[in-house]
Amino acid sequence: MILLLEAAAASSPERQAVATSEGSATYAELLDDARRVAAALRRRRITRFAVVEPDAGWVLRLLAGAALAGAEPCQYQPDTDASEFADHAALLDHTFVLTRRDDLTGPFKLVRPAELVAEPADGALAAGDDTPQPLMIRTTGTTGLPKAARHDWRILGKTVANVRPMPEQRWLLAYGPQQFAGVQVLLHVAASQATLVAPFPRQPKDGLDAMLTQGVTCVSATPTFWRFLLAEARSRKATLPALEQITLGGEASPADLLDEIRTKFPDAKVSQVYASTEFGSITSVRDGKPGIAVETLYDETNPHANVRVDDGELWVRAGAGMLGYAGESGAESSESGESGEWRRTGDLVEIVGDRVMFRGRKSEVINVGGVKVHPLPVEDRITGLDSVALARVFGRPNKLTGAIVAAEIVPVGGVEDADVENIRSQIKTAVADLPRAWQPRSVTFVDAIETKGGKTIRGMEE
Amino acid sequence: MGTEQEKARGVISEFLQRTDKGAEGWNDETELWGEGLGLDSLEAAELSAMLEDEFGTDPFSAGGDLPEKVGDVLAFYATVST
Repeated sequence: MILLLEAAAASSPERQAVATSEGSATYAELLDDARRVAAALRRRRITRFAVVEPDAGWVLRLLAGAALAGAEPCQYQPDTDASEFADHAALLDHTFVLTRRDDLTGPFKLVRPAELVAEPADGALAAGDDTPQPLMIRTTGTTGLPKAARHDWRILGKTVANVRPMPEQRWLLAYGPQQFAGVQVLLHVAASQATLVAPFPRQPKDGLDAMLTQGVTCVSATPTFWRFLLAEARSRKATLPALEQITLGGEASPADLLDEIRTKFPDAKVSQVYASTEFGSITSVRDGKPGIAVETLYDETNPHANVRVDDGELWVRAGAGMLGYAGESGAESSESGESGEWRRTGDLVEIVGDRVMFRGRKSEVINVGGVKVHPLPVEDRITGLDSVALARVFGRPNKLTGAIVAAEIVPVGGVEDADVENIRSQIKTAVADLPRAWQPRSVTFVDAIETKGGKTIRGMEE
Repeated sequence: MGTEQEKARGVISEFLQRTDKGAEGWNDETELWGEGLGLDSLEAAELSAMLEDEFGTDPFSAGGDLPEKVGDVLAFYATVST
């Protein structure tokens, strides 16, 4: 990160690097502040710390400064509950917390980011390829306690080694910068010496506002984020601007969503990225079709491929993966992306013709009376209806069958004006050819669907 | 002012319409299974979910014997609502 900032600042010092709800900064300003942060961290002997900060401008300063100092930052959700934060910080042994919040208390020392940038830089500090530049990234974890993956900027930087400067691009930060996908966007923007447009909050409606008013040309987001954003745009009758690049990741991209994106943004290049916090960025698809092309899978004729299918599950290797989980030494790391070993992903897939189609996460499978149901294909049928703006399919506990398939529906135009019985009937028809256990037995109509980390929450309801 | 039983009767009627079993031709003595309404486990699970949504509890999940007739379901909600 620091090396990319140095390159961008040398090439285009006055280029706007980041525009947030709090202000903007050029590459020269960001680099100057990062150097101050690095020196201040060294003076305080802070070698690892938590970051609880909503503003992407501050986040960039702190991450780049940490990389220069060789300190390990770990971002938390900026609006995380104070008591939850204290628990998680204790688990990860974070004794320094860089934040502007006043409500965080616990066995840690609060350090204000403004204090750090107020101090002078140390000209002797320099980053190099032989100096560790650690970074800890907590997993999104739609269930249970998040894990934390140990990364190094030098490895992550390999994914953008071939990115050419595209200084006119303005990338919307739709992910939290604490997410792996958010870090990827930060890296890509710095490598392309472009501008990061980073509103906060980062809800789809905020993303739409940024697209409409801040000259956004490129967007990387989850399919769920796109569904919400497009629904918001329809509801506002907004005229969407032309985009140059659209990147989808974090979840499978359904065919109907890809069609809608192609229709709304005919000039945009559309990429789907397969990546995870643990394995790094594995592969991307640029043909606009759902799933991955079978021809890109590993086999004897394609020995360098890093994706294969085994027993209905996607396996991967290589990528700019993590060094290990927090608390593991390198030798103990079981899922390092650098090892080249094949690893399970937990993503269930099916080969249909020449495509590998995603069927959902292993953890999302619903057991309905012994029948394993994948929520994603059911959800795809429902979201394909013109009357449905958004849908979430999940498992609902039931005494008789263990679980039933349930669906939450956000109708186009909202619940109040919707003909819900008609939509029920449409849903019934749309899923009629699926096995009976797959058909939703509980359909409720809601104004909004809960997400986590920009992803739809499926699997069993607690 | 309706009773909980009347509300439960409404939920059953709605369920039968949704599952294409017809809203008419049943009464308190109608069997839920077999020759009566002919519910299978998935349909019974759907009805239990609808009743749970309405009342917060349902006779299929409450433990003990499963209800056998429509009247058993209604009897579970015998409390008069105010």
